[in-house]
Amino acid sequence: MIPARKALAAGAIALVAAMTIAGCTSRNDDSGGGGGSTSGSDEPIRVAFVPKLQGIPYFEAMNSGGQQAADDLGIEWLYQGPTTADAAAQADIVRSFIQQDVDALIVAPNDPDSMAPLLQEAADKGIQVATSDTDAPDSVRQVFVNQASVQGIGEALTDSLMTAMGGSGKYAIVSCGETAANLNAWIDVQKEYTASEYPDAEIVDIVYAGEDQAAATSMATDLMNANPDLTGLVGECTSSAPGVAQAVKDAGKTGSVFTVGLGTPMSMAPYLEDGSSSASILWDVQNLGYLTAWAGLQLAEGNEFEATNDVSADLPAVEYDADTQVLLLGPPLEITKDNVAEFDY
Amino acid sequence: MSVDERGVSAPAVRATARRILPPPVTGQELVLVGVIVVLWVLLGLFTPAFLSAGSIRPLLVSVAPIALIGVGMTFIIITAGIDVSVGGAIMLCAVVTAKSLVDFDLALPLAIALSIGLGLLLGLLNGVLIAYGRVHAIIITFGTANIFQFLALRVFGSSTVNGIPGTFDVFGRGEAGRTFGVPHSFLITIVIVAVAWWYLRHTSGGRNLFAIGGNAQAARLAGIAVQPRILAAYALTGALVGLAACFFIAAGTSTLDQAVGSGRELAVIAAVVIGGTSILGGRGSVIGTLLGAILVQTVTSGVTQLGWPSQLANLFVGVFIIIAVGTDLLRQRARKAS
Repeated sequence: MIPARKALAAGAIALVAAMTIAGCTSRNDDSGGGGGSTSGSDEPIRVAFVPKLQGIPYFEAMNSGGQQAADDLGIEWLYQGPTTADAAAQADIVRSFIQQDVDALIVAPNDPDSMAPLLQEAADKGIQVATSDTDAPDSVRQVFVNQASVQGIGEALTDSLMTAMGGSGKYAIVSCGETAANLNAWIDVQKEYTASEYPDAEIVDIVYAGEDQAAATSMATDLMNANPDLTGLVGECTSSAPGVAQAVKDAGKTGSVFTVGLGTPMSMAPYLEDGSSSASILWDVQNLGYLTAWAGLQLAEGNEFEATNDVSADLPAVEYDADTQVLLLGPPLEITKDNVAEFDY
Repeated sequence: MSVDERGVSAPAVRATARRILPPPVTGQELVLVGVIVVLWVLLGLFTPAFLSAGSIRPLLVSVAPIALIGVGMTFIIITAGIDVSVGGAIMLCAVVTAKSLVDFDLALPLAIALSIGLGLLLGLLNGVLIAYGRVHAIIITFGTANIFQFLALRVFGSSTVNGIPGTFDVFGRGEAGRTFGVPHSFLITIVIVAVAWWYLRHTSGGRNLFAIGGNAQAARLAGIAVQPRILAAYALTGALVGLAACFFIAAGTSTLDQAVGSGRELAVIAAVVIGGTSILGGRGSVIGTLLGAILVQTVTSGVTQLGWPSQLANLFVGVFIIIAVGTDLLRQRARKAS
């Protein structure tokens, strides 16, 4: 009897899940139904961006940058992402934009490999496709809007931490998703760059907390206990950057253990101010959204990118690498207690 | 506390109650204590500082909210139910409370009352639907989990909650969060575990929960008010989620993001199951749940402090769950066979 009830439960869960997904998709279809494929010359160009997930400050800041660009450039900016960083849910949203026949479709893929065939499908329908924030290298995307070079991020993180640690000592990295390609690429640079530039410094451990602040804080505490001579911690993503700083603060080790990380300005502000975090490395996320929308417009109008592009007053010289088809936002941004108040995300 | 307390005044009832009382500590709990002691000794030997105050204190702070919700979950699972909505409920309580702290600078007692009150409301919703709707608990709570998450995301409003004041520092990992070196959140958890242990063991209300989980039909025929009991178990869990949400805010950073509460329902159910509570209902203990939560956090911290790959913690917790459920099922089978 109990197995039967369990089977029923499992079936019902599957049904609910299916209905949830179906519900989302049909709603998207409705909202875009008016446009259809009959976009005449009087209708604005429609640029759609699908973030990894919506509702987090990072992608919302990108959205506000994209909106800004849409106002400046006279295009329509469509923004929709899944509520969790789920590749399948994201694929449904991409499909719905393909059905709506948008002019340019830009994705920050959760899973680059499974996104590639969908981008092919979009391109076959004549939609201009691109990636932003995270690349899908083996796809038909025409351009990747890159927030910062891997080398730039890895070196900036290391340099900021080493400035705080005095160029030597042991440090550990609290990363997030164990399979996150961009985080792992930055970590590789940090390892090499530390070994070559700071011979007296050493990375003693790298741990993975998922996108979970509490886990990051616990792990940072454990790392300090496991390595009593540890003097530095890196929070590799937006959830672990404040997490490692909180751990140092709670342990009363502000000033003897230094932290840096990739944190959003508002989440890092209290820690930058009390000294438990020395610096946060990021890029101007709103500008990244602006550049993404601008790139979508160029693709839709069939314009070629130049080696150096004048995008806006904030982005006067955006470099384009024709071999790799990558637009680079610029050098990373170092956020410290001195400039943290300038950002509102 | 939302559970009522029915006295066992009549001598006859008391005599019966004494006869059916289980031993105060079960075999599984002794095994868990043994495993935890062995692990702590080994970790003390092979890591530089596992047994120091700087390591044990944060461990207990991490254990507190899981064990606290685990008390309610133990009540529910004893009645042969389950609540998979606690992750969503934590998220909703935490974001509403954190936002109120930021916007209205609530005083500590008011903030706690708000969080517990909201949690109680969510628990009551689950309880009413399950007790009177007669739909399996996993379906109802899976549904409400999504609704709670939706509401929480609306409150988040596409942003994190920033600049949370230190009102809850008294439950935190820092200096303000402990008395004589013991974290307050853990002390509160211990007290609630003790009260719950006494209630389950020494009151007719507590014993009724076991009867319902053993055989709800028989319990009803024996005159137990099955539906109010089940309702109370979910309401209790909701209230405890509210208190635990305060602990989560206290142990977090000054920013609350949408990952709060995510996956915690599984952490709580893992602690309950490892603690020896039968997933089929009718058998269980809150002390086991506390020990289960301590064991899981010990393994997680231990793996990091030993410098082992993080994913090994998942492997060990998974093995513990399978061993615990496996021994429970074997025991049930043996009982049926005899």
